[in-house]
Amino acid sequence: MSGPLLSIQAASVQFGAFRALTDVSFDVGAGELVALIGPNGAGKTTLLNVLSGEIIPQTGSVRFDGETITGEAPHDIVARGLARTFQAAEPFQRLSVRENVMVGGVPRHRLGLLPSMIGRGAELLSHGKLRREADAHLAAVGLYELADQSASILTAGQRRLLGIARVLASGARMLVLDEPGAGLNDLEKRALGDIILSLSRAGKTILFIDHDMPLVSRLARRILVLDQGRIIADGEPAAVRRNPQVLEAYLGRRDTAPEAPKVIRAVAPPLLEIGSLDVNYGGLRALDRVSLGVGRGEIVALVGANGAGKSSLLRAVAGVEPCTADRMTFDQVDLRGVAADRRVAGGINLVPEGRALFGSLTVLQNLAAGRYALRRTRGFHHVIWRSAAERHGFEQRLETVYQLFPVLKERADQLAGTLSGGQQQMVAIGRALMGEPKLLMLDEPSLGLAPQVLTEILRCVERLRNQGLTILLVEQNVTAALSIADRGYVLANGRVVAEGPGRTLLQDHHLSEAYLGSSEVEPDGAHAGRNAVAINGG
Amino acid sequence: MTWWRIPALIIALLACAATGNGYLVSLLVVIGLQALPAIGLALIAGFTGQISLGHAAFYGLGAYGAALIGKWLGIPAWLDILLSTAVVALLAWAIGWLVFRLKGHYLAMATLAFGIIVQICFVEMHGVTGGPDGLTGIPPLRLFGFTLGNDFAMLPVVWLATIAAILGAQNLVASPTGLAMRAISENEATARSLGNDVQSTKRLIMMVSGLFCALGGGLYAHYIGYLSPGPFDVGFSIKLLLMVAIGGFADVWGVLIGVIFITLIGELLKPLGAYDIVAYGALLVVSVIYCPDGLPRGIATLASRARRTGAAGSMR
Repeated sequence: MSGPLLSIQAASVQFGAFRALTDVSFDVGAGELVALIGPNGAGKTTLLNVLSGEIIPQTGSVRFDGETITGEAPHDIVARGLARTFQAAEPFQRLSVRENVMVGGVPRHRLGLLPSMIGRGAELLSHGKLRREADAHLAAVGLYELADQSASILTAGQRRLLGIARVLASGARMLVLDEPGAGLNDLEKRALGDIILSLSRAGKTILFIDHDMPLVSRLARRILVLDQGRIIADGEPAAVRRNPQVLEAYLGRRDTAPEAPKVIRAVAPPLLEIGSLDVNYGGLRALDRVSLGVGRGEIVALVGANGAGKSSLLRAVAGVEPCTADRMTFDQVDLRGVAADRRVAGGINLVPEGRALFGSLTVLQNLAAGRYALRRTRGFHHVIWRSAAERHGFEQRLETVYQLFPVLKERADQLAGTLSGGQQQMVAIGRALMGEPKLLMLDEPSLGLAPQVLTEILRCVERLRNQGLTILLVEQNVTAALSIADRGYVLANGRVVAEGPGRTLLQDHHLSEAYLGSSEVEPDGAHAGRNAVAINGG
Repeated sequence: MTWWRIPALIIALLACAATGNGYLVSLLVVIGLQALPAIGLALIAGFTGQISLGHAAFYGLGAYGAALIGKWLGIPAWLDILLSTAVVALLAWAIGWLVFRLKGHYLAMATLAFGIIVQICFVEMHGVTGGPDGLTGIPPLRLFGFTLGNDFAMLPVVWLATIAAILGAQNLVASPTGLAMRAISENEATARSLGNDVQSTKRLIMMVSGLFCALGGGLYAHYIGYLSPGPFDVGFSIKLLLMVAIGGFADVWGVLIGVIFITLIGELLKPLGAYDIVAYGALLVVSVIYCPDGLPRGIATLASRARRTGAAGSMR
């Protein structure tokens, strides 16, 4: 056989006005082990959906093994030998581990309806070919001992392995793995890496997405980088890591002249103090003993790769994510056990990732919704009746929001769902401001927005800080975020790995490592000491 | 491990018939007739996770179909039951093709609408179905020269069909297709990503489900001898769903217990008249909240907990 196994030609995908993929072309040869990386919202998952047939590209084509597969149903593409896993590859919880794997083999060992109903099918499952194959695949990923257990008891790492065994059972020649390492600890990642390598040696062609650069560098001989729907780099790991375009995609443009670090304001007792915060999702540890402080009137930026735990931290502070902490105070009041709506009323407002607007309400109604928690805590009658004081307060806040975002005044009666992305973000921030926050938390305000819009939003954030608001910011454009931040924390794998003044952190090697991995192999112990710029937070 | 269940069931049926109690035997026939659509519904709603609120329609179509085919073509009863069952099974496949574009609440609404449309057709198509007056004079089943005119003669025929359905459903669930069904009920996208043709599996199971319903309906028509639209309304769909819920959704034998339970409760609720549907609705809510795995398993859990508490108590 000649030619590449998988070949994607000039594929473009558009969702409404949003171009998710633009002219993406690349080949994967038989037996290759390729990684696909790219910042949040780059279009990686869309690309995978194109490969697996879940999305049909508007233009361009996908060829597998010399034949065009664009437009084929997902199950037909699997039958050709191209199978994928999902990012949140949940096992079938009510099936046993072995049954989970056998599901992948069913299409190839399908039995007619009549033979099934007269009882010829049970044999296939209990000691037939289907079962033997499933056991072999389980052995390949090291889960054979657990074959008879219920899949619901598996740990996060085992679930990923089960996901891989499942696609193996479908008889795939090429595996496409969507973030197999996300949320796993170092030990589990190493085991996963070993198995992926052994599959590759056994002749499988593998394309995988991951954010963990050490894992990616260890496995892949070739890395594809996707940014804003385009392939911006394709080559060996070392070359890709040095590629200026890649650095820019991950860390933002670095052409701003480095100014002297801003003077950290004298911060009396910090507004928010967190000690040893843990967040767990099932068996998966999202945050591991994180401690941080946010002083009054500061902008604090939280940065780190996808899955580092940034959003989990904000959600834990907002009270929408269950967590445990030794210490969690806001304005000297213990936050532990306080319900989310009380926290909002107390002045902690979160602008969630993806904005979460009420799309079928108008802009004004969305803004008004931001005051609900405040009114509710004053008593139920305040929800059904607006007192004169509340009306006055409402008008005043509304005026402040309109001053900040004049465009919202023009669009007050428009449905929020019909606004552009940037305007929606303004509504989301405005809605949070309506609740008279003391601490405003912004989760990825620039997600899916053009760079100019980000600049505008960050300028507003600075203005809010100058008005005395405290801000905790999570932003994927690290350079932009850290350049306005008073202080920053770098998170990696649920831990704080560095902290310090924003502009100092920008120069810190921990930062690029948190995103792109270490470029040189350092002897163990090099990381033992805390980062030099670390200061005592708060 | 469960091989003893069929012999035990047959022995229990024989024992009941041996008592010679006419009321008991007629109850058993009714249970057998309702077990067919209930097991059919369990296949699609329980094992495959696709809710249907219109299964009474397939039962009704099977019944009217058998009666009308017999009347028009003048063929023997057993043949018109088979023909009607085949036609309704094809119809169920086609309905599946139509409604399985939808999921969740929308699927429930579409199947509910299907059920209502069929019910209205039964009422309004006077020329064919006799409208609200119904169809009368449906001849009893005749097999090998014997006329099965009474409950004692119907009992073996009905339960033969029911046991065949139980075995068929059990085997189907234990086959690779059954595995695919259970996977689809948990996560369609994942099942599809593993190469399973989700839509075609759903349509196939819908067809089997419709087949079981129509078989029950055809037997019912020739057993009761008179058809009116009333028994095939949405209330019966809800009742079927209740039987499946009581049985624990994905459990063939549990559903049989659900049918028995609901039929007996129905006898107790007779004094309530038309208000019995209120009691059924309340029962559905209670069973889904407190026994999400069905009554048999709920009781088993309670019993084992009581035993453990008892054991712990005696140790102290």
